[in-house]
Amino acid sequence: MNFELDDVQRAAAAGARAFFAGSASPGDARRALGGGPVAPGRKALADIGYLGIPVPESAGGGGGSVLDLAVVAEQAGAVLAGPSLVTAARAAVLLADQPDLLAALADGSAAFAVLDGAGPSIDAAGADSFLALDGGALVVGSGKVTAGTPMDATRGLASVRLTSRTVLAEDAGERWARARDTALVVLAAEDLGAAARAVQLGVDYAKVRTAFGRPIGSYQAVKHALVDAWVGVEQLRSLVWWAAWAADSAPQELPLAAAAAKAFAAKTLERAAETCVQVHGGIGFTWEHDAHLYWRRAKVDRLLLGDEAEHLDAVAGLVLAGALDR
Amino acid sequence: MDFDDTADEAAYRAGVRELLDQHAAELVRLDSGEEAADAAQQERALRQTQRVLAEAGLVGVSWSREHGGQAGTLAQQAIVNQELARARVPTLINHIGLGMCGPTVVAHGTPAQHEKYLARLLRADDVWCQLFSEPASGSDLAALRTTAVLDGDEWVVNGQKVWTTLAHVADYGILLTRTDPDRPKHAGLTMFVVDMHAPGVTVRPLKQLGGQSDFNEVFFDDVLIADSERLGEPGEGWRVALTTLLNERVAVGGGGNDLGLSIESLATLARDRVPQLPPDRQVLARQAVGRASVAALANRYTGYRRYTAISRGGLPGPEASAGKLAGTAAAKLVADAGVRLLGDDAVYSRGPDSDDGRWQRNQAWLPGIAIAGGTDEVLRNIIGERVLGLPPEPREDKTAPFNAGSRS
Ligand SMILES: Cc1cc2nc3c(=O)[nH]c(=O)nc-3n(C[C@H](O)[C@H](O)[C@H](O)COP(=O)(O)OP(=O)(O)OC[C@H]3O[C@@H](n4cnc5c(N)ncnc54)[C@H](O)[C@@H]3O)c2cc1C
Repeated sequence: MNFELDDVQRAAAAGARAFFAGSASPGDARRALGGGPVAPGRKALADIGYLGIPVPESAGGGGGSVLDLAVVAEQAGAVLAGPSLVTAARAAVLLADQPDLLAALADGSAAFAVLDGAGPSIDAAGADSFLALDGGALVVGSGKVTAGTPMDATRGLASVRLTSRTVLAEDAGERWARARDTALVVLAAEDLGAAARAVQLGVDYAKVRTAFGRPIGSYQAVKHALVDAWVGVEQLRSLVWWAAWAADSAPQELPLAAAAAKAFAAKTLERAAETCVQVHGGIGFTWEHDAHLYWRRAKVDRLLLGDEAEHLDAVAGLVLAGALDR
Repeated sequence: MDFDDTADEAAYRAGVRELLDQHAAELVRLDSGEEAADAAQQERALRQTQRVLAEAGLVGVSWSREHGGQAGTLAQQAIVNQELARARVPTLINHIGLGMCGPTVVAHGTPAQHEKYLARLLRADDVWCQLFSEPASGSDLAALRTTAVLDGDEWVVNGQKVWTTLAHVADYGILLTRTDPDRPKHAGLTMFVVDMHAPGVTVRPLKQLGGQSDFNEVFFDDVLIADSERLGEPGEGWRVALTTLLNERVAVGGGGNDLGLSIESLATLARDRVPQLPPDRQVLARQAVGRASVAALANRYTGYRRYTAISRGGLPGPEASAGKLAGTAAAKLVADAGVRLLGDDAVYSRGPDSDDGRWQRNQAWLPGIAIAGGTDEVLRNIIGERVLGLPPEPREDKTAPFNAGSRS
């Protein structure tokens, strides 16, 4: 058994951490709420090669694995970067037999979004090419975009009504499902990064803020809350790695692993972000502090691509159907 | 990344399976949670099971040859544990000896003690127990009051231990005592090997929450222990105890085995019961099964990360405490989902058939898991302080002489 990142993946994580530290931040996420651009933005993500990770080399991509993408997505989540690598992951599966569109995905010349019916879809706000399932067929088209006031502007959420459509593949239900499962893995990976950073912010503050003559981190109510959030993060990391590995190497395990990862991610990020706000006290409730940006990400992400209840039910269904009897 | 055995591991595993097949008739088989009818007979059978396994080279796998082990790796030990679980062999009777007492004797014992104890411990010729907790010192272990006073070349021991697992069947124990009450609490302790059959040792079984008796209170009245049975120097008992506690972490931090009943057994039960529920209840039951499964899977795969670290030669650090914390929580979710699926039988302590009883017994065992070997709260303190680097609580009990402090 070898359930650990390898040296190349660890180096990729370090590289991604450095890239995102210099190109996106919670400050950018705050500015995006006031109408500023989403950082680092599609072009920067294309130029560094991250949008192309799931795209085969033959189509101008990096030919990476879902795990490679998840490792980068974790770092993207840590600084609340956008647009989401979820979109790249999902589009790459849907466009597997469309080399031209894949190339446009990788080099950022097309702005894709994948639509989940009429509801809010990730990265739709800035997109020009929409992928959708239309009566069992996979279609691409343009559309009319309607966005509400964003709770987390980095997610680019908007509803889209297609105004044109070209059929890319008939009977695409299975591919659609696999693309959505892959998207769940990458979303959970971004949530992992965000949750880990939120816990770290809380831990750092608990070491320096004093009350009643001692650091607040020495009080068990504070310490134990942070520990529970941290334990959740480490457990989530295991599910994300498993699910990413399944997407690459054991597709029959992907539905269970992806649903488990997404369900756990929803709770874990929410707990981490709420703990982060609570540990900071009054300052954590201010607009200027970063805590609420993680809190926003948590409150939004938990509902994207199916909420916890939906994925718990999916897990139960798979377990009852014998997914664990191997 | 993969979940496969290496070629070496696969060959080792195949060898283990073959040995287990070969000795199948001599081994006790039990589903975790099942209870045997006759305790004395069960004890004999469990001792024999361990002896057979030891003779087959499947006990003390990672121990060195000079100590009677197989000089294998911790990964090989984990493989043996997995295969024993797969073959439905219950926890080895000497698990406390193997996990905690033995490694402590190895690390701090004299060659004469190694010679005298280790091979017999591996074969369960002698069963061991860990005599640490006392009525007034569980979490705060260093506050213990059992005294040992040197008289010539013997120590005279007086006091009481409690919640001592296996003491009722044990032949030996490792015993932590206070030998110098004038020094601060951690500095005045000394560790011994005690003969549980020695005059003055009285063991009284305690009945647990679930009605079983796995642990005991143990009284020491002028029990004599030869100085040659000391483990480590006088006053060094805390350091010796830390060896025990570190090994406790290795013992629980192994290969991602479930602490309670498995998700697979929950799946089997749920397949049978969920379809019998009214539709609105099915929704709720599926949420519970889903939540328990996700928690248990998260814990299982986190265990695989620890296993990977171990198989590369690492030792689990304080972060392994998270495994027990999360594993206990997951096991409680699994047990709760299972018990609720029993319907009306969930309110009885034991259902009409053995499968029901398994869930109820497990439900009644898990509160103990959240306490034994470090309570959930104590584990949170350890993780908070040693992993996250949060400041400890202010304490005054570490520096004052033990007999000057507030002892209650
Ligand atoms: C099934 C079982 C088997 C056991 N087997 C053995 C054995 O073989 N050998 C042995 O020596 N002992 C054994 N024990 C004893 C076990 O180690 C102790 O029960 C445990 O360490 C807790 O100590 P305590 O019972 O004195 O509780 P206390 O320490 O009195 O704790 C009571 C409550 O206070 C909390 N608390 C205590 N200190 C703190 C703190 N610093 N911060 C926050 N909360 C705190 C605890 O978490 C707990 O909720 C066993 C216990 C059980 C349940």
